[in-house]
Amino acid sequence: MSESPDRFSQALKEILSGGFTRTVLSIILGFLVGALFMIGSDKAFIESLGYFFSRPGDALGAAFAVVTEGYGSLFRGSIFNGEAETFEKAIRPLTETLRLAAPLILAGLGIGLTFRVGMFNIGGTGQIISGMIWATFVATRLELPFIIHTVVAVIAGVLGAALLGALTGFLKARTGAHEVILTIMFNYIMFNFFNFLLKDPLLLGEEASTGNAKADPAAASAVLPKILGDNYNLHWGFILALAAVFAFWWLMERSTIGFRLRMVGENPDAARSAGVSVERVYILAMGLSAAFVGLAAANQSLASPLGLFPSAHANIGFDAITVALLGGSNAPGILLAGLLFGAFKAGAPSMQVFGVSPEVLGIVQGAIVLFIAAPPLIRMLFRLPPPQTTSVLSDIRQKLMRRGGAK
Amino acid sequence: MKLKNASAAFALLGASALVLSGCAAAPEEEPAATSTATATEEPAAETIDFLACAVSDEGSWNDKSFNESTYDGLEAAQSQLGVQIDDAESNTPEEFTPNLEAMVAAGCDITFAVGFGLADPVNLIAEANPGMNFVSIDGYSAHPNLKPLLYNMAESSYLAGYLAASYSTTKVVSTYGGIPIPAVTDFMDGFYYGAMAWGMENDVEVTVVGWDPVAMTGDFMGDFTPNSLISKGIALSHIEAQADVVFPVAGDQFGAVSEAIKETGVEAVMIGVDKDIALTSPEYADLVLTSAEKRMTNAVYDIIAELSAGGEFSGEQYTGTLANGGTGLSPFYEFDAMIDDATKARLAELEAGIIAGEVDPKA
Repeated sequence: MSESPDRFSQALKEILSGGFTRTVLSIILGFLVGALFMIGSDKAFIESLGYFFSRPGDALGAAFAVVTEGYGSLFRGSIFNGEAETFEKAIRPLTETLRLAAPLILAGLGIGLTFRVGMFNIGGTGQIISGMIWATFVATRLELPFIIHTVVAVIAGVLGAALLGALTGFLKARTGAHEVILTIMFNYIMFNFFNFLLKDPLLLGEEASTGNAKADPAAASAVLPKILGDNYNLHWGFILALAAVFAFWWLMERSTIGFRLRMVGENPDAARSAGVSVERVYILAMGLSAAFVGLAAANQSLASPLGLFPSAHANIGFDAITVALLGGSNAPGILLAGLLFGAFKAGAPSMQVFGVSPEVLGIVQGAIVLFIAAPPLIRMLFRLPPPQTTSVLSDIRQKLMRRGGAK
Repeated sequence: MKLKNASAAFALLGASALVLSGCAAAPEEEPAATSTATATEEPAAETIDFLACAVSDEGSWNDKSFNESTYDGLEAAQSQLGVQIDDAESNTPEEFTPNLEAMVAAGCDITFAVGFGLADPVNLIAEANPGMNFVSIDGYSAHPNLKPLLYNMAESSYLAGYLAASYSTTKVVSTYGGIPIPAVTDFMDGFYYGAMAWGMENDVEVTVVGWDPVAMTGDFMGDFTPNSLISKGIALSHIEAQADVVFPVAGDQFGAVSEAIKETGVEAVMIGVDKDIALTSPEYADLVLTSAEKRMTNAVYDIIAELSAGGEFSGEQYTGTLANGGTGLSPFYEFDAMIDDATKARLAELEAGIIAGEVDPKA
């Protein structure tokens, strides 16, 4: 094995072994960064800055107001809307959060799985599209009885994504091509291929299409049923996500397959010496990873009342990377991280109505993960002691010195 | 990328600059210290209890095209009528429904759903909220609480096509669209038949590149991304095919077309859509022959004015035409001298003919 993947997986390992305190601190810091942006774009605050020194209370009041109102509207849009007339309407935001969290959790599990194996799957977008193609084909072009139709469509979505993932793993194992390059290129190919399929009514496009790239909605027999009745959009995708979280936990922590995956993640050379076929594990890991992403694809395909647009991947493939990083690539962590970012998605429109650009949430999301992924930065900010394991930098330095000395 | 969002970053910079000059005296009267970001800037009219809202199609309110036209109407109502406004921009089709739902949660008295893409979502929302009122711009309605706002854009585009053919020296004119939906192809139909009409009257063969209204085939970008490379590519191919008047029907593509024209160095011009482009985007004025305007600003303002004054909501369709001034050609500005009086007179005749129903802009 060359040095660079080792170094990379070492860094990944440290990021993933973050621990509870660092995660909470990162989230708080992320929200602080978002607050700064909100304050900086607030008109009342900027105007009161003009006379800051004669009456600082105005500026501080305005800053306080915009932050509490901004995050207040996020809370109202994602958890509980105290201003609604009825209790049923008041809890609707929470159900929206759960609905939007489901695909993030599912895809987050997929991406997290590759992190555990020391690989970096940024092909979530391509895999989700591949899954959507298969699931949408089954859901709009086949006629099957209720429940069976849904089940077949979900399986199709998983297969569609898993095959693309396994192909990526196969190419890496056979040719040594890096999975990062492979997955990025497959993202391009799948996105444009999907667009092409959606434009043609004979392929995946609307039957009555005029060339507009859009699919028919899933047949009534294939949709994921709603959980709480017609007043809420929450559907079985969330149950699917909970089941997947449990399956992921069992797979990674209890099964022999998971043991092999983790072993390769810890040290591929040792795994090879122990008789594990590392190449086969690469294929398996990418395939399993994409299978979880495929569940997210089924969630997208089978719950959209209007049918899919080319942008139906909704950037979930990339958001899933942040979910997996924040969640430490373990099952409960990914569940919580998915819920947090799902709440961001649910709350974005109500923040926008309030007058705050929802892009602030993207900044918060990025900042949180940045703090997570930059452990030395957080340690410096909060004067935390260095971790027990050697830090990445000194590890890299050691390796460089060793290489220089030995050869 | 978008002005509104970029403003956050710039404001931050500006704020730090202001800190340095923050020694000015405080204003006399106590400003509302708890005022929020939605607080309006002292409207000229007295504030009234009416909330008008809008959800954009893909792209921002600053698209210099139909999203912006709607938003202008909202802002005019805010400053002149004193109504409150709320808005949400949609970056992808995935955001259409959540944004509309946010407007329902905000308790809007009227919500404008801008664009054909929002037609399906707003029909679902209107059905689920029978007590609230909506307007679908460029869409359709299957519910009494949803008013469709449509434009016979073929009428003004017909005039644009006639003018284009008369102005062209190569007698090749071109058009292309965002996606092939009725709200787009309506422009292209009118443009095609207008250009053909000039050819028949003068017994000159005119070629329209990019759209065939009979076969319903033509050049489309596949989305409405402003000034995309695809857009520029189509414009270049049209210029390559000798076209010297280009009519892009996809929101703000004027940067892409003007780049294409300048790169090839040919004496070509373009025709604007939705707004009076030579006026609203003066940087392109030397290339804009005229614009086929879709005057949504007035219609949006009128609807808000009527409702906020206590008027009854009507789900009846509004259709913008040449007759009611909902659509029309912009002034020619710099090109005015280059268009002969006979053509101008004939355009006026055609306009009267369309209004009277004697000229069919789609044949």
